Amino acid sequence: MRGIFFALAGGFFLTFQSVANATISTGIGTWQAATMTQFTGFVLALLIVVMLGDRSYLNLKTVPPLYASGGMLAAVVLYSNMTAVHRMGVTLTIGIFLIAQLVAAVMIDSKGWFDMAKQRIGRTQIAGLLLMIAGVIVLKW
Amino acid sequence: MAIGILLALLGGAFVCLQNTFNANVKKHVSVWSTTALVLLLGFLASLAAGLAFEGSRLFEFQAQPWFWFSGILGVGVVACVTQGVQILGPSRAISLIMVSQIFFGLMWDTLGWFGLEKVAFTWQSLLGVLLISGGVLLFQLGPRLEQHNALKRKSVGMDGSARRPL
Repeated sequence: MRGIFFALAGGFFLTFQSVANATISTGIGTWQAATMTQFTGFVLALLIVVMLGDRSYLNLKTVPPLYASGGMLAAVVLYSNMTAVHRMGVTLTIGIFLIAQLVAAVMIDSKGWFDMAKQRIGRTQIAGLLLMIAGVIVLKW
Repeated sequence: MAIGILLALLGGAFVCLQNTFNANVKKHVSVWSTTALVLLLGFLASLAAGLAFEGSRLFEFQAQPWFWFSGILGVGVVACVTQGVQILGPSRAISLIMVSQIFFGLMWDTLGWFGLEKVAFTWQSLLGVLLISGGVLLFQLGPRLEQHNALKRKSVGMDGSARRPL
């Protein structure tokens, strides 16, 4: 039960975040919104790290630089998300984001790229993706 | 419209790439330290892009006070997603998160909260969201079902010693 609540709340926060970012970008501009939300999020996360007395960041030296720099991709993610929400609404934006996310996951997992465990892609996964694409088409028809 | 779709495809692919990279960081570093690092780099990258495209105009804005609290949402995401995955395991948690995301999206479009342009609710859009949710569940939970069936078939058909589900 608790797990279900957290998962549903996680989805709620993700959607809320897209909406808030889109609204903020209307008020002050897209790059301003991206910079501000990432900055305030960082300050808060840093506070949590300090409060927890967490020193695991010392292990960062052992992380390959490519993986450690993943956060920079957020600039592209935020810009695309805000612009897409403005142009076609939240539902459609999320629908297409999810499809692209899972297609990319299929590609990475099937090849075992980026140190991910190589996995065979099942028929149910392809069927799931097709169902999602059908959903987006119905949504926009 | 076409630009919106293309950007959403690009953005979604980048979300997956980022999650993959972050997963590799989390093998060595705690969730919150990883989150702080990811947000710091996201901030620096956005700042650099903003300066490149807009120069010093980047800093000329009038924010409403609540804009400064937007970071709380990101922390809420990380906290809830981490807890959910820990309790339910990744495939079940992620499928629920995605379904929740798209349903809240429909709700938000319908209500137009937070100055968002209202998109009228139609039964067709509900059908679309249901199809997308069904697809997510099939994608995330399907492999388990396939495994389960293979196991059953094997244990029925042969000597029942199928210890390693494929």
